[in-house]
Amino acid sequence: MSGFKETLKDAVRQMSFRTSLDKLKKKGVQNVNVLGIDRIIALIEAAVHRSLKSRLVGIEREAVAESTKAEFLRLLRSNEDLQRQKSEMERARERAEEEIDLMRRELGEKRKLLEVKLEQGAVDLANRYEGENKEIAVKVAAVCRSFVESGDAESGSVEERLMELVMDVVSGERENAEVARKALQDREVGNLQRRIKKLNDTLASTEQRLQQASTMKEVDQGISSIYREVQGVGSSDAQVDRKKELMADLFKANLRLQKRGKGA
Amino acid sequence: MTDTNDAGEAGAEVKKDHGVLYIGMDLGTSRTSVSASNGVRETVYSTVGYPKDVVSMKLLKKDVLFGKEAIEKRLSLKIYKPLEKGVIKSSDGSDEDSKANLKAARDLIGEAIRLARPRADELVYCVIGAPAEASIHNREAIIEAAREHVDSVMLCSEPFAVAYGLDWLEDVLVVDIGAGTTDLCRMHGTMPEEADQVMSDIAGDAVDAELAKQIEASCPGAQFTVQMIKGIKERYGFVGDASERVEVELPVDGKPTAFDLTDQLRAACSVLIEPIVDGLKRLIATFDPEFQAKLKERVLLAGGGSMVKGLDTAVEKAMNERLGGGKVIRIEEPIYGGSNGALKIAHDMPEDYWEQLK
Repeated sequence: MSGFKETLKDAVRQMSFRTSLDKLKKKGVQNVNVLGIDRIIALIEAAVHRSLKSRLVGIEREAVAESTKAEFLRLLRSNEDLQRQKSEMERARERAEEEIDLMRRELGEKRKLLEVKLEQGAVDLANRYEGENKEIAVKVAAVCRSFVESGDAESGSVEERLMELVMDVVSGERENAEVARKALQDREVGNLQRRIKKLNDTLASTEQRLQQASTMKEVDQGISSIYREVQGVGSSDAQVDRKKELMADLFKANLRLQKRGKGA
Repeated sequence: MTDTNDAGEAGAEVKKDHGVLYIGMDLGTSRTSVSASNGVRETVYSTVGYPKDVVSMKLLKKDVLFGKEAIEKRLSLKIYKPLEKGVIKSSDGSDEDSKANLKAARDLIGEAIRLARPRADELVYCVIGAPAEASIHNREAIIEAAREHVDSVMLCSEPFAVAYGLDWLEDVLVVDIGAGTTDLCRMHGTMPEEADQVMSDIAGDAVDAELAKQIEASCPGAQFTVQMIKGIKERYGFVGDASERVEVELPVDGKPTAFDLTDQLRAACSVLIEPIVDGLKRLIATFDPEFQAKLKERVLLAGGGSMVKGLDTAVEKAMNERLGGGKVIRIEEPIYGGSNGALKIAHDMPEDYWEQLK
């Protein structure tokens, strides 16, 4: 009996909600009436016993009390299961939220990295070309000066011709190098883009899961029916036979209708 | 089952070993009511709304809205009233409009079942009251729509459900006044046949139309909508002598203006009387002469339309004049009379029958 009382207490605790005095004050509550849990349990028990006593006698009362207790415990267990499912769903939702945050951060980082790489690549290339050009110009100027100093040819025309020659060679080289560099860079960019796409897909599916979890959180657990098993017309019903006939007729009409529907 | 099993769909299939939930449903043109064996009783206007575009969907945060909520937000919604005269509008699904109505009806039935708050781990058995003269095709459509949400479903005629719910199975005439139709049914201890049923399309909507006509004619400049008319009727509707004048404010050029609608309401609500008495006469006159007197003494008024004040007395008076007497009783819960009866039928149906219809 004490075990049952404890279970009843647990159930009352489970069904109650916790609030603070501040919250109550905010709602405009100034005074509260306090009723201890033991008193509540005693009241429930007294009400049940009084009700049973007034309606049933002896063995019947005991049997009803026992089956009521059993049903109460069954309902409680069932509620616990539902509570557990709800907690699991909430945990799944939290996990999905964390994953999404993580993925969003990673996605942001990867995007930044890609932008930096692309910008850096362009700047490096410009700088390198500029440096190479200067270097070549200096070398050519030196060659030309040596021509002039030796008095072999007119400095201006020789420099020009030489420059053309060198630039022709260099641009050929540059084109080759550019192709090679671009191929390398494309691979890197491609990798990054693929990674971003994958992250995007994962993000979308995780968000979908999160949405599902949120919907599930809102799913109503429902209210238990008072019937454990399928009923039927009660044998004590004054019109039991007539009702059985009516039920049979109604069933036959529905069976015809539904068979027709399935057949169509 | 689908909608009610959302939790189950996401994970493993839920074992239905917790119990049996019976649901009785009154699928009406104006309202859909449910009564369930878990004590839930709910009613919802038979109106379904879908967001008109992505913007309204984002704003409303819902794919579909029902009842009062749909009516209140109708400007952002594409509104459907999927039932007409108690049956799904053009349920053959041949054109776009018909398909949309069918979908709206499915969603409405789903919502009505959700309102009954079934548990995922319970078997759900449902009896739906449909108008006595619904076509086979329409009945099939209702069954199909309900099947998506319950484990087993049956249809029964609405007035039969009302009578069964009150245990009046013999020598009784049920008058079920809905929005789209008034159904009359003669009960004589067996399942009512076609000859035992009469349907008239003079019902709640006809009263609304008449009231709108009367107001238009007698209240110059008064602006109103169908919903406003319905509201006035539901609140003040009466026939016979008025206990007090009915004063209602209606806007005229944006200014609320008081109008006395006593006579208009009386006239509009009175349109119900004649078709009811005609139907009663037909059903009484074709009944075994020996039992006609008994039948006249047991006329039950049910459905939302029976809430019109003084209707029972007015019908009784008309019966006295035309049929030489009669006794009319208004059921206690007009909104839930049909669903309560359907619930009782669901309860009394043997397990074997439910199983066979799964």
